[in-house]
Amino acid sequence: MKDKKNIFVSLAYFFASSRKYQKIKSFFRDILENDQYPYKKYFDIFMITIILTSVTILVIDVRNHIPVWLDDFDLYFITFVFVVEYLLRLWVYSDIHKMLIEEYEESLFFDKKLSLFKVFGKIFKSKWQYISSLAAIVDLIAILPSYRGVRVLRVLILFRAFKMLRYAKSLTGFLFVLKNKKFELLTLLTLSAFFIFISGIMLYVFEGDNDNPNIHNLFDAFYWALVTISTVGYGDISPITTEGRVVSMLIIITGIGLISFFTSIIVSSFSERLSSLREDRVVQEIGKKQNLTVICGFGLLGRLVAQGFEKEGIDFVVIDLDEEKANLAYEKGYSAICTDATQSHTFERLGIQDSIASVLCLTSDDIQNAFIAINVKSLNENVYVAARCSDEEIAQKMKFAKVDQLIMPEKIASMMGSVYAGEPAAFEVLLSIVEEKAKTQIDEIVVTKNNFMDSKSIKEINFNKYRIILLGVFQKAHTQGSIGEFIFNPEDDFILNAGDKLICIGYVSAIANIKRKA
Amino acid sequence: MTGKKNIVLFGYGNFARHLYKNLATSGHKIKVINTLEESATAFEDEDVDITLINIKKNEDVLSLGINPETDLLYCAMSKTANNLFLVLTLKALYPNADIIAISNSYENTRKLKYAGAGSVIDLYEATSRRVVNMFTRPAVTKALDEIIYNQNNIKMAEIELPQNSFLEGVSVSEIDFKAIGIILIAIIDKELGQELIFIDHRIDHKLDAGDTLVVVGLIDKLQDFKDKLELEE
Repeated sequence: MKDKKNIFVSLAYFFASSRKYQKIKSFFRDILENDQYPYKKYFDIFMITIILTSVTILVIDVRNHIPVWLDDFDLYFITFVFVVEYLLRLWVYSDIHKMLIEEYEESLFFDKKLSLFKVFGKIFKSKWQYISSLAAIVDLIAILPSYRGVRVLRVLILFRAFKMLRYAKSLTGFLFVLKNKKFELLTLLTLSAFFIFISGIMLYVFEGDNDNPNIHNLFDAFYWALVTISTVGYGDISPITTEGRVVSMLIIITGIGLISFFTSIIVSSFSERLSSLREDRVVQEIGKKQNLTVICGFGLLGRLVAQGFEKEGIDFVVIDLDEEKANLAYEKGYSAICTDATQSHTFERLGIQDSIASVLCLTSDDIQNAFIAINVKSLNENVYVAARCSDEEIAQKMKFAKVDQLIMPEKIASMMGSVYAGEPAAFEVLLSIVEEKAKTQIDEIVVTKNNFMDSKSIKEINFNKYRIILLGVFQKAHTQGSIGEFIFNPEDDFILNAGDKLICIGYVSAIANIKRKA
Repeated sequence: MTGKKNIVLFGYGNFARHLYKNLATSGHKIKVINTLEESATAFEDEDVDITLINIKKNEDVLSLGINPETDLLYCAMSKTANNLFLVLTLKALYPNADIIAISNSYENTRKLKYAGAGSVIDLYEATSRRVVNMFTRPAVTKALDEIIYNQNNIKMAEIELPQNSFLEGVSVSEIDFKAIGIILIAIIDKELGQELIFIDHRIDHKLDAGDTLVVVGLIDKLQDFKDKLELEE
């Protein structure tokens, strides 16, 4: 049976295949909802400015008359922006065409007729989900004050201030912290309500019968109880009988307890959430960076590497499962997260697809390093992974996992240690070269085009004159990004070309001197 | 200062095992010592004979029969605390001993030196420099691989000038090292003491017997040079 596609279904297919439509929709989705999107910030600032303007106009309007153009601006422009925003949010909330196509294909599959009624019911349901959400209701109410007929509606402009929560993430962060303490706060609220209720009624019973000229009804008594229990104590209503005063004394003491309870809830919930708030910040900061290096493991080696990176100005972030170590990194001023690097969501959050260029697995446990390396490689094979391992056998396995570079501290150190036996002077030379602590260091110098070394022979340049020792030359690579062949101790008639890299040993200032010239 | 050929290696953990292999291939005689507690986590290689002792007991250490004149002592236990104690013990028993110790951080290096280790190798310092260099100066990393870490035919060596060699009384600037095929990196000029001096062509050193040259070159070129020094008297 060939069902004739109706107009809705063809439209849905048209939208699904239109790249332009997809692009526009994803742009609006990003700018409205995606916190990682770099331009969302500007949109947020724009909206906050508009809201503040609107509130300012409301406040000025109370005593002074505002000019007509400003009122028009408020009425037309701001309302227009809000309405457009509301509709856009409604639009990007779900994809109508997808639902249509889904239903259509299902109907084809089961050889049934497509029920448009059912589909539109479904679409309406999904949109209603948005309309009935708290944020959408606030948005809608914020539009209402534009209707000038009813004066009271003007106060609803303050809902525009609530709208700001959408654009300022730190404010929502605060609310989120409180949300975690819902139970405690609710307990406190119930407790306070109970005391206010009891003491309010007691005061009303003792002083409500015309003894106290300020208490006219039960509401006055409750008002007094709240003012007293919160330790605000305006003093506009105060008990005059002894019984009333005793009640006051009791609820003042209770009030102090309740307030300290409240404070402790807020403080403890903040300190509990502090590390995760900090993490969010680190992740946000990282989102802006490119070519990021991740150091997994902040042990002895991780610390030294981080120190070196900081000195060389390489962007990096430290991950350690141990909270103490992560804190140590944080205290040193590095971006640090306390999380498990063997989990894929850790790297997904950090932007394994575009932000991270390389990952160093430097924990002291080989198995852990292999785990992290495989985790990273399985997520994105193009990320450069260097892993620490202690043994040749493990190195083989790491290579199998396509780890780009193996770091074997024990091997490197033992190589130097074995030089010491028999050749202590050579050892000393080695030590100062590889640890880079002495004034004499090894460095690379690039021959640039039209440089004084370009197209000259080694003899002509005479490195002795520059007080450095030339160990060898890496010839310019023919393929991009790699390093060419190493020519050790080139002959006197060897000609240098632009792109060659010279490996030299020399006094720091001598190397700096020739680099300046180069 | 000729190298001591006999080696006493304390510890047989990750590092010590690598060290053992390297030393064995360069033809040293090695005696491996370990403590009972560390031997539980140490490797078991069939061809390596390990003597177990208690380093807290002086008689145990003395029973090893260490001769400070001929033996070079490596303290390469897995735990730095044990290393430190070992250095202290050895220094107390043999004040003239030549001790080289392994450390895991800058501050422990300081402590080991204070305890009396002649040389200290930081397990992580060289590696961390290497990791950073991988990012900032990849060519340097590769060059170091070629010259130092990879076991290929380029080698760094030190050569002590024998009596009446052909370099006796010759200034450094007069020697054409290029023609010999090696690079001179540093010397110990005996007239100036034991200090290692990197060649920077500022001062021209006159060579005498007993001076030490630190050179880099292909292994056969180095051998040729050594032979030549011995031959021409």
